[in-house]
Amino acid sequence: MGRMHIWRDIAIGCLVVAVLAAIPSLLPSKAFQDFVIRCASMALFATSLNMLVGYTGLSSFGHGMFFGLGTYSFALLMQKTGMSLLTAFLLTLLITAMTATAVGAICIRLRLIYFAFVTLAMQMLLHSVIISWVGLTGGDQGLQGGIPRRTFAGVDLSNQYNLYVFSAVMLVVGLLLMRHIVNTTFGTSLRMIRDNETRAAFLGIIVWRVKLTVFVLSAVFASVGGMVMSLFVSGAYPELINWPISGDAIFAIVMGGVGSFLGPTVGTMILLLLNDVVTRQTEYYGLALGLIILGFALGLRRGVLDFITERLGGRPAGGIS
Amino acid sequence: MREKTATHLGRRTVLAASAGALAMPFVARAQANPLKIGIQSIFSGPIALLGASSKGAIQPEIDRINATGGLLGRQIQPIYRDSKGQPQEAARVARELVNTDGCEILLNAEASSGAYAVQEVVRDLGVLCIHTTAEASSLTADPKLRAPTAFRSARQGVHDAIVGGSYSAKVAVAKKLTKWATCSPDYSFGRDTTAQFGEFLKHFAPDIEITSQSWPKMGQPDFTEVVTKILQAKPQALYSAMFAGDLSAFINQGNAYALFSAMQVFVPAMGDLPVLTTIKNMPAGIHSAARYLPTFPDTPVNAAWYEANRKFNNNDYPTNWSWECSTAARFMEAAVKKAGSTNGKAAAAALEGLTIDSPFSTTGKITMRAEDHTMIGYAIGWGTTVPKEPFVTGIEPGDWGQITELETEWKKKNGYI
Repeated sequence: MGRMHIWRDIAIGCLVVAVLAAIPSLLPSKAFQDFVIRCASMALFATSLNMLVGYTGLSSFGHGMFFGLGTYSFALLMQKTGMSLLTAFLLTLLITAMTATAVGAICIRLRLIYFAFVTLAMQMLLHSVIISWVGLTGGDQGLQGGIPRRTFAGVDLSNQYNLYVFSAVMLVVGLLLMRHIVNTTFGTSLRMIRDNETRAAFLGIIVWRVKLTVFVLSAVFASVGGMVMSLFVSGAYPELINWPISGDAIFAIVMGGVGSFLGPTVGTMILLLLNDVVTRQTEYYGLALGLIILGFALGLRRGVLDFITERLGGRPAGGIS
Repeated sequence: MREKTATHLGRRTVLAASAGALAMPFVARAQANPLKIGIQSIFSGPIALLGASSKGAIQPEIDRINATGGLLGRQIQPIYRDSKGQPQEAARVARELVNTDGCEILLNAEASSGAYAVQEVVRDLGVLCIHTTAEASSLTADPKLRAPTAFRSARQGVHDAIVGGSYSAKVAVAKKLTKWATCSPDYSFGRDTTAQFGEFLKHFAPDIEITSQSWPKMGQPDFTEVVTKILQAKPQALYSAMFAGDLSAFINQGNAYALFSAMQVFVPAMGDLPVLTTIKNMPAGIHSAARYLPTFPDTPVNAAWYEANRKFNNNDYPTNWSWECSTAARFMEAAVKKAGSTNGKAAAAALEGLTIDSPFSTTGKITMRAEDHTMIGYAIGWGTTVPKEPFVTGIEPGDWGQITELETEWKKKNGYI
């Protein structure tokens, strides 16, 4: 990707943040701000998973462990230590990276369904630890008591508008970084591994190293999503690290488009909108959501953004063929 | 003196009519400006009974308030939302109810984990919130977790543990039951409740020894392994914190092994009508707390509430959650009337220390304790089961003086005071 493209993306990102920051003065809806905060959290998580699924061909069913790890590590560091939000944020990234390195070292040598199952097993293991370690994590009741000192660079994040802008910035910065990663030569290696791992190895790519690197990077971005969620709910709960959360990210990718970089973000928006609208109307949320997803799968046969891109005559950026 | 006729308009009549005409826009505005109350619970999945019985208790109270002119002259408009039993969703729903739907008060009928999540939202938003069903003691006992405008109108785990421990110890001493087993669900509530019960049981009867503990999973379909483990341990008494469908299944399966005739059994959650009425062969002599029974307290107001609640809910039985939700609505009504406002701070100040008349108390009064925002004085007691109505007999009411004294000791021990 040329420098011009990078600057163009940064300019678009700044514009998006500026527009989002200005919206509350025109539309003073706290519900909209809540939506953007949740969307930022889940979109970062889903896009990070798409780095594995869409760009590398690694179908992880347990990516939610890093989202949840981000939630718990951050909340625990803020609650149990006196450190600042920035320090806790950076330390959470480090904890996630180290955990992902250990988990990835075991998983990335496996292929296809075995990789999927082992990542799922790892998530279930971590979830069990969280549930069992009641003294530290609060067990199945979750980490109670809220997150103290929610101040970042002098900005009080317990103020909803500030958290809203902070989440928007996290989303845009996270997406820009991930976009930059998948558009570098490293990103090309990912796609090469996805399309033909053996050929990639013959061309001199050290496959395990590339896979492990992307596994760790995607985990780190997922943990940023987890930290945003932790700030939103002011705590950490076992549901945020349980395996259905990984399913939510996969749904978001499938609905938005596995081949488009912004597909998971679009999918997240659809998924959250469906959740919010359907939950208000009926308690049969699962049934309604299942039917809608079935409609997407059988009707469009691809994600929304992939469908639109192909209709407009383009080829999804992820290059899924 | 001029004779009054039907068509004559006196000065006072004209003034009254004018005042009425002037007031019309305000009356219209009051009617057009309903007081929105957010009620969130679990309305879907295996614990949907929580939402159904909560709604089935709150709605009649709202209908009653609306029928008598509403609250502060405004008709109450309840907005019900399903959290699906997920804490993060409970937090989102609470925010949505206040921020989008414009709810001024929250009645939070979530299970404990959801209640903790909502507590943090309430801390941020500052609205009046009454937790109607969360029993985990730390929610209000721990000053670090307490929120200035959040209250609890539910039983508190430690209250049940004190009364259960006291009653069970009395039976244990009388019948010389020293060898005990426990069998409770394998999650925080089950383990915490069992530990608290054991603590108070030993406080009252130090010779007791717990020799076997089983932790079946929630929703476990087959309890054979657990039942045989208990029988092999040959305890003289068994305590179980199981509840709802799991408890019914456990009792039905335990019956097949004659478990309940082999030992004295203590199950606090037995005394809830949906459990009592779904067990096929109700064993006699199980010791149980009275979660909700129309016969405890045995008063006309409780019996009348029971009949009215069943009538409203198509003859379904009220649950323990029902009376707690009904009480929450009554506390809300009294606090808002006293404060003359729905403002979180003002209503919370009014609710602190407030005592209301209640059918669910042996004294006819329930108080919202000021220092820790939790309810005291409600009917709490233990008795033994019989296979037919009234299902639990010989109920011995707990002593609130003793409960408060031991609760204070417990709080000190846990660093809450």
